[in-house]
Amino acid sequence: MRWANTKLIFLREIRDQLRDRRTLFMIAVLPMLMYPLLGMVYFQIAQFLREKPTSVLVLGALNLPESPPLFENDRFSPTLFSKPQAADLLNLTFYNQGSDLWTPAPEDPLEKAREAVRTGQFDAAIWFPSNFADELDRFRLVSESGVLEVRKGEEAVGPETLPSIPRPEVIYTTSNEKSQITFSRLQRVLHSWNKAIGKRNLAAVGLAPEAALPFEIQGDDLAEAAGTRGMAIWAKLLPVMLLLWALTGAFYPAIDLCAGEKERGTLETLLCSPALRSEIVVGKLLTVMLFSMATVILNLISIGITGLFLMKQMPGIGPVPLAAVGWLLVVLVPVSALFGALCLALAAMARSSKEGQYYLMPLLLIVMPLAILPMIPSVEMNLGFSLIPITNLCLWLRSAVEGQYAVLLKYAVPVLGVTVVCCFFSIRWAVDQFNRESVLFSENERNDLGLWLRHMVRDRQPTPKVGAAFLAGALILVAMFFLGLTMPVPEGFGGLVRTVMVTQLGVIVAPILILTFLLTTRPAKTLLLNRPAWRVAWKTVPMAILLAALLHPLAFAIQALIARLYPIGPEAQALQGLIASVPSFWQLFLLAAVTPAICEELAFRGFLLSGFRHSGHKWQAIALSAIFFGMTHTIVQQSIMTMMVGLVLGYLAIQSGSLLTTIAYHMTHNGLALMTTLVTPELLARHRWFASLVDTADGGYSYQTPVVIVTTLLAIVVFGWFYRLQHGETDEEQLQGAIHHGQALGDEPLGPE
Amino acid sequence: MIRVNGLVKHYADLRRGHFVAVDRISFHAKPGQIYGLLGPNGAGKTTTLRMLSTVLQPTGGQASINGYDVLTQAPQVRREIGFISANTAIYDRMTAWEMVECFGRLHGLEGDELHGRMENLFDRLAMNDIRDRLGGKLSTGMRQKVSIARAIVHDPPVLIFDEATAGLDVLVARALLDAVLELREHGKCILFSTHIMSEVQRLCDRVAIVHRGKILTEGTLPELYQRHGEDDLEELFFGLISRHDEALARVPDAPISTDKPLSSEGGLS
Repeated sequence: MRWANTKLIFLREIRDQLRDRRTLFMIAVLPMLMYPLLGMVYFQIAQFLREKPTSVLVLGALNLPESPPLFENDRFSPTLFSKPQAADLLNLTFYNQGSDLWTPAPEDPLEKAREAVRTGQFDAAIWFPSNFADELDRFRLVSESGVLEVRKGEEAVGPETLPSIPRPEVIYTTSNEKSQITFSRLQRVLHSWNKAIGKRNLAAVGLAPEAALPFEIQGDDLAEAAGTRGMAIWAKLLPVMLLLWALTGAFYPAIDLCAGEKERGTLETLLCSPALRSEIVVGKLLTVMLFSMATVILNLISIGITGLFLMKQMPGIGPVPLAAVGWLLVVLVPVSALFGALCLALAAMARSSKEGQYYLMPLLLIVMPLAILPMIPSVEMNLGFSLIPITNLCLWLRSAVEGQYAVLLKYAVPVLGVTVVCCFFSIRWAVDQFNRESVLFSENERNDLGLWLRHMVRDRQPTPKVGAAFLAGALILVAMFFLGLTMPVPEGFGGLVRTVMVTQLGVIVAPILILTFLLTTRPAKTLLLNRPAWRVAWKTVPMAILLAALLHPLAFAIQALIARLYPIGPEAQALQGLIASVPSFWQLFLLAAVTPAICEELAFRGFLLSGFRHSGHKWQAIALSAIFFGMTHTIVQQSIMTMMVGLVLGYLAIQSGSLLTTIAYHMTHNGLALMTTLVTPELLARHRWFASLVDTADGGYSYQTPVVIVTTLLAIVVFGWFYRLQHGETDEEQLQGAIHHGQALGDEPLGPE
Repeated sequence: MIRVNGLVKHYADLRRGHFVAVDRISFHAKPGQIYGLLGPNGAGKTTTLRMLSTVLQPTGGQASINGYDVLTQAPQVRREIGFISANTAIYDRMTAWEMVECFGRLHGLEGDELHGRMENLFDRLAMNDIRDRLGGKLSTGMRQKVSIARAIVHDPPVLIFDEATAGLDVLVARALLDAVLELREHGKCILFSTHIMSEVQRLCDRVAIVHRGKILTEGTLPELYQRHGEDDLEELFFGLISRHDEALARVPDAPISTDKPLSSEGGLS
C-alpha cells in the first residue's frame, strides 16, 4: 500500500466533504446550535413545571389537631416550608360535610377524591381519618405518662402500648408528572408537620426538640476536592453520547463517500485509477474517522459551553474535568476507527445514498444494546466485560470520566486489543466490499425478495450460494429463538431427550435438508457426503478423533477460562445438573454427542459452509459458519467455545472434503466433554496415572499445564497432516487464488457447471 | 497493445439467472488504431471494457494491456489506460483543475511535469475558462472535457471510451470525436465502444460487432462489407444481429457461426 495515494485520496475526500453543506451542517452547525437550544428549552420547561402551582383536595381537615397548625388561611402553614412563599404552590380545596364541591354529596368521598385525581380534576388529594386528632392526642398522653413512669423508676413504655395513629392518605398518580410533583411537595410539607408534632410531644414532657434527632450526618464528598462533583451522571451519559456522536459523525460521510460516489458514477472512475482498493478504503476511512472525531469534539465543546451556564442551576453536578476530556479524546481514536470501518463497509453495500440511510437503524440496533449495557448498575469493568466490543469502550470511558485512572490502565491492553482486532476485521470487511463486483455494480433489482427466491430455486447450482447459506443460518437462529421461548425447561431425562430431538431434528436438520433439496442440484456434494467424502474417510476419521482427543485438554482449559470470565448463570448450572443426572453414560453420549454431531455438522459444515465458500475466501467461510454455529447455542459461555470449535471443524471440513471427518471430531469432542462429568475423587484415586495428569485445586479439576502444552503441540502436528491434504476449491476460491498467486485463468472458464 | 483472448464473464442475475455476459471474445488492437466495439445495449460492450479496465474480473480467458494481464497485474494495467465512460463521472465538489490534478497525482505525476501537462491539456481542450469552476456547475459537454483531461493527463498508451458521446449535443459530440482522432494521431491505441454507426464509420480502423456477449464479425469496414456482401454498415449490422437471433431461437444451445474464421492478425479465435 502506498501512503502517497492514501494521503491523496484522504485530502481529496476531506476537501469534498468540507464543500458539502449538508455534512458541515450535521457535523459543525447542528451541535453548536442544538445544545444551547436544548438546554434553554429544558430549563424553561423545568422552571415552568417547578413554578406552576398544583391543586390539592383536602378531605377531613376538621379532624386535625389545632396545634401545630397544618393549615393557615386556607393554605399550608408557611412555617412548614424552608421558603415560606412555597406554600403558594399548593392550591388547596377543602371538602367537609356540607361542602358544595360535589352535589349531590357523594356516599364515599374518598372514592370520589380518587376519581377526581384520576380524571385530572385535582393533581393530588389528601385525606385525614375522622379520629386522627383524637388518636394523636392519645398518643401524646400515653407517651407523656410513659415518660413519667420511667422517671418514677418504672419500666419504659413499649411500642405495643402506644396507640397506632391512623395514617393520612395522599392520593396521586404516577401516570401524570404534575401529580408526581404535587405528591413530592405534599410529602415534604407533611414531613415537616410530622417533625413539628414530634417536637411538641417532646416539649410536653420537658425534653429538648433535638432529643429525637440527637446528631446530624456530615457528608464529605471527595469529588468536591477532586473537582469531579456529580461525575457519576457524566460517567454514565458521556460514553453513550460519545459513541452515538462518533457513529453518526462517521455514518453520513461514509454514505456520501461510498453510496454517494456510486450514485454519481465517480467510484468507477476512482477504481480505474492506479490506486489500490486498500488505498481507496484507507483514504476514505481516515476521512470518515476525522469527521467522526470532529463531530465528537464539536459536540463536546458545545455541550461544555452550554454546560458552563447550566451547571449553575444544577448544584449536584460539576463540569467534566479536563483530564477526563483528554482521556475521552484518546479513546475517541479507536472508537472512530471502528465505527468508520463499519459504516464504510455498510455504505459500500448501498446502491444509493437513500438506501444507505436505511442501514443506520440496524447498525444502531447492534451498537446501542452494547453501549447501554454498562448503564446497568451492577456492570463494572472486569476482564470479562473488557473483552466485549463497544461495551468495553463505554466502561473504559466511564473509568476515565470518574477519574479512576488505575482501572483505565489496568484494562488498557484487553480493551484496546479487542478494539484493534474489531477495527482490523471491520477494515478487512470494508476492503472486501470494495472488491466485490456484486456490491460495486449491484443493480436495483437486488432487493426484490420474490425475484430473489425465484432465482434461488430456478437457478440452482450444485452447491448453495452465499445468500442461501445466510438464509439457512438466519432460519435456524429464528427458529431457535422461538423454540427457546416456547419450549419448557427440560425436566428429567425424558424432557432432555424431547428438547434435544426437537432442536436437532426439527430446528436444525429439517430446514437444512429441505433447503438442500430445494436450492441445490447435488445434495451429496453440498453436505460433503459424496463419493470422495466416503473415500477419504478411512484416514481422515481416525485423524479427526485423534485431533479431538489431543485438543481436549486445551478446550477444557479454555472452557474453564470462559467460565471464570463470564460466570455461568443458575439456568445453565441447572442444565449441567440435568446432564449429570442422566442414568447411563451411553444414553447421554447418544443424546449429547452423537445426535448433535450428525445434525449440526449437516447444517453448519454441510450446507452453510458449502454456501459461504462461494465468497471466494476460505477463512471467511469458516468464520461465518463458526459464528452461526456458536450463535445457535443459547448460553453465551457455550457460544464462545462452540465458535472456537466451529473454526476447527470448518477447517477440517474443507481440508478433508468429508462431513464424516467433522462428525467424528464433533462426536469425540462432545463425548470427552461429557466424560469430564464422570470424573470423581474416587476415580482419580483408583487411576493414579490419570490423577497425575490433572490438577485438583479449587475443588474442581483441570489438566496440568504441561499436559495442555504437549497435547496442543501434538495437535499442531495433526493439523499439519490435514494441511497437506489435497482439497477441492470453489470457482470463487480459484479466482481469488489466481489473483493472489498472479496466475492467469485456465482456458476453461469458471462458472456454473 | 490490447490483446483479448477467449474472454468470458458470467453473471448471476435475478431475472435472467446465470447468464454469459461476455462469451469467449477475442480481438487485438494496436497502437495508432481506433478499435470499435459496435453493438446494441446489453451486448456486453461495457462488461468487456470494465474487465479491460480491471474494474471487473473475468470468469475465463485472458486479456492484456501493453503486456500486463488484467487479472493478475491490475495495478500495472490501470497505469496504462485512460477510461472515459458514458456518464461523465466527475466530482461535483471539485474544480476542473483540482480533479485533473488529483488523477495526475494518482498516476505518480508531480510538480512541474504535472502542471506543465495540465496547462497543455487545458489549452488543447479549451478548458481554461472552467478551470476553477466546480464540477457540479459544469454543463455536460464541459464535464466530458474534464473527463477526457482526467483520463489522458498521465499520457496513457491505451484509451478506452465507453459510449462517450451518449447524452452529448451534436457540437460537443463532434468535438469529442475530433479529440479521439487527434489522440490516434499521437499513436494511442483506442478502444471505442458505441452503438452509433456513423461514429464507427468516421473513427474506427477496425470494428467488432458485438451481440449477446459474442463477437459476430470483426475486421476493417471494407473487409466486413466484402465478407458479408453489404455496402451499408447499418444493413450489415441489422442483418447479422437478426440472423444470430433467429439461429438462437431455433437451437438455443448450439454454437452459431455468423462469420468466416479470419486468418488475419487479430481475428476471431
